[in-house]
Amino acid sequence: MTIASNVKQCLSSIKGIEAQLASLALNSLDKESKVIFHETMLTIEDVKKDLQYRVLELERQEPQFKA
Amino acid sequence: MPGWTYIIMRSLIFLLLLFITTKILGKKQISELSFFEYIGGITIGSIAGEVVTGLESNMFHGGLAIAVFGAVTYFVNYFSMQSKKFRDVVEGKGTVIIKDGKVLEENLKKERYTIDELSALLRQKDIFRIADVEFAVMETRGNVSALLKKENRPLTPKDLQMKMANEKEPQTIIMDGNIIDEALRWSGKGRGWLYTELEKLGVTLDNVFLGQVDSYGEITVDLYDDQIQVPTPAQRPLLLATLKKTQADLEIFSLETDCVKSKAMYKKNAALIQEAIDKLTPFLIG
Repeated sequence: MTIASNVKQCLSSIKGIEAQLASLALNSLDKESKVIFHETMLTIEDVKKDLQYRVLELERQEPQFKA
Repeated sequence: MPGWTYIIMRSLIFLLLLFITTKILGKKQISELSFFEYIGGITIGSIAGEVVTGLESNMFHGGLAIAVFGAVTYFVNYFSMQSKKFRDVVEGKGTVIIKDGKVLEENLKKERYTIDELSALLRQKDIFRIADVEFAVMETRGNVSALLKKENRPLTPKDLQMKMANEKEPQTIIMDGNIIDEALRWSGKGRGWLYTELEKLGVTLDNVFLGQVDSYGEITVDLYDDQIQVPTPAQRPLLLATLKKTQADLEIFSLETDCVKSKAMYKKNAALIQEAIDKLTPFLIG
């Protein structure tokens, strides 16, 4: 396993978390839970953007690992 | 007409009369909280019993007596709601019998309770030491309500300064294999959503005896066929585990990389996710 593939794996986990938080935010009945799920979803989205940028960087530096 | 037809006829009529009286007086009558409801409940029952078995030959006299008892109870209830003074007289007030952990013997004597009876009533509430009680009241119905001293009360999350997620009441959306549309609407869901969720669990609607949806939109079902294992909803605990794994991964990346800029980026994001974990934990456990 290379660093690039590890980071990619982590990125897909983050995407999964984001999607699950979105569905929880929509399905929850309690208003406070809705807000918290939504807020953390936005935080996770920022993390996702950073990681996506890093994956591109890694692919540029080590093109042999490009999927 | 033979006697037994009389009894059947009277029974049915008085059953209906009692039903109507109780409906008019409301739930309060069933709980027999005040003096008039207690007396009314007993007397109306006996009158009906006597008339039905034919001891009182005139059926309408019995009906009239029931109507009077019902009406008096109804009006007493009505005036009780209007005036506090009237309420205190007819419904009585609770008597304080333990204060600051000390038994008030005078009040106990006034209610003609012995210390044995008081201890028995407290034992029914799982209180064996009178010294544990901060405050106790003898209610008008004769039962005791007790407030324990703070250190003897059961522990709550608030005492531990734990933050707990607020939960809405679960809605029962499937009963006997039928969808309860009203409950489904209350939980803000539709039939399409329900069919998808059932498919996810791998069960058919007609096999579901009871289905409930909780405040997170997770569905739990009880099946007619008890041999089938239904997966328990584990979405939220799994999500928490994934979050923790991701946070750990990001910390590892920050240690592995030589690039200073990326190191800082990983560190920042690991901290962000840790913050998210802290915020979400009350909502994701359990």
